[in-house]
Amino acid sequence: MSITIQNVTKRFSRFPALDNVSIEIASGELIALLGPSGSGKTTLLRIIAGLEFPDDGGSIQFNGHDVSRLSAYKRKAGFVFQHYALFAHMNVLENIVFALRVMPRRMRPTEDAIRTRAKELLEAVQLTGFERRMPSQLSGGQRQRVAFARALAIEPAVLLLDEPFGALDARVRKDLRRWLRAFHERIKLTTIFVTHDQDEAFEVADRVVLIDKGVIQQIGAPADVRAAPANAFVSNFLDIPPRV
Amino acid sequence: MAGASSIQLHRHGSPRRATAESPVAKAILIAITLVFFALFLFLPLVVVFQEAFSKGLALFVRTFQDSYTQDAIKLTLLVAAIAVPLNTVFGLAAAWSLTRFRFTGRSFLVTLIDLPLWVSPVVGGLIYVLVFGAKGWFGPWLIDHNFRIIFAVPGIVLATVFVTFPFVARGLIPLMEAQGIKEEEAALTLGANGWQIFRRVTLPKIKWGLLYGVILCNARAMGEFGAVSVVSGHIRGKTNTMPLHIEILYNEYQFAAAFAVASLLALLALVTLFIKTYAEWRTEKQLLEAARDQHP
Repeated sequence: MSITIQNVTKRFSRFPALDNVSIEIASGELIALLGPSGSGKTTLLRIIAGLEFPDDGGSIQFNGHDVSRLSAYKRKAGFVFQHYALFAHMNVLENIVFALRVMPRRMRPTEDAIRTRAKELLEAVQLTGFERRMPSQLSGGQRQRVAFARALAIEPAVLLLDEPFGALDARVRKDLRRWLRAFHERIKLTTIFVTHDQDEAFEVADRVVLIDKGVIQQIGAPADVRAAPANAFVSNFLDIPPRV
Repeated sequence: MAGASSIQLHRHGSPRRATAESPVAKAILIAITLVFFALFLFLPLVVVFQEAFSKGLALFVRTFQDSYTQDAIKLTLLVAAIAVPLNTVFGLAAAWSLTRFRFTGRSFLVTLIDLPLWVSPVVGGLIYVLVFGAKGWFGPWLIDHNFRIIFAVPGIVLATVFVTFPFVARGLIPLMEAQGIKEEEAALTLGANGWQIFRRVTLPKIKWGLLYGVILCNARAMGEFGAVSVVSGHIRGKTNTMPLHIEILYNEYQFAAAFAVASLLALLALVTLFIKTYAEWRTEKQLLEAARDQHP
């Protein structure tokens, strides 16, 4: 699914978190929103998910359809939260099938179908055998993968990841990065992830969007951005000397 | 897990600190506390039950066979059955909106919720007399249309609702504040509607805090004297609740009967205390879990 972000501005009180942001994302792309903390990248992700709404004049389109006013629960965007936000009182299995259980009755799969789907999802994130564990009994990396499986259960048209590896230690991060890239190659789901870590963005993403103070500084493939930083912020942030 | 176990350790005897009191001072402090508890809390409770049976079991039983006593118990149950569910819904709605939304006047509202706790219950009752009484704002209109609020059951319910309003909301606000809204947001992106989010995500997280508030609300609703006394009119068999009935019996020198009814209220307090302690312990656990999930 393609995503069009058009003239999105978002103000909290008077300070603009996002200032006239426009991005075209092709179907099946893997995009990184990269910037320092407070740059507005998470706000943009939340607006795409429908957890926040853009100020008047801005719009979000999924496949050309305007979804700007659609609430998150109708948008069907798979969202993985920074600290996973797993349901603490449900076990892994219940977490993963939550989305299927809350579907309107006429669309809800049968119990058998739900079980089969759960099995597939657990396999996809390599957590077979962990069905009965509670989130508190899992490691950070395992929680992260449960959050992934839970978001995938709705068969989302787009996957939104907020600092997906932020809370993990360096070694696990590297593994998961590779896993995400491989996963993306396999199912070609349009994916947008937020990060403040440039290595992460450059290693995983097809294109990188650099944001600072709510304004897009540069959009491009990792190699292009590295080769030609658009301005002083980009070269500073990436620690590349600007070309004169 | 680490958080929970360290708290447990703390409870079972903290290690001796440099600033700790000497054993003698500790013994004296504990003794004072125990004596205070015995004199002012435990002894009165014993006396209530002792007095209740002072004229024998027969009189105790006869007190509860008396139709006025039965009417008072029924009215108290009726009032609690209306006021507690109402305040549960109000409290949930208040806690939800005050912790989920940021708006101007929010902190003022949080303070205002406590109003019934710091105003004298008598004032709470008088407010309703002022508004609905014969000489009040709506008094003439109510009389014309043959509605009775003051000196009738609706007035008692209103006064009770006023006095017991803070309990549920106060129990929930700190808990919901600590838990945040991440899980609710996750449920929203997974396609759950408002009711499903409340039922499947929020309620399980807050259930012990909610029970804690409801139990306190109920105890106060059944035990309220001041506010109810002002609006009731003390009509026997009609507008007398248990606490008012106890007062009447006492003023008529029917001490054993008064204490018999009082023992029922005391029993309610004991049951409340028991459930409250359990709910408090579970709420504490939920708070700890919330704290841990916020900073994994």
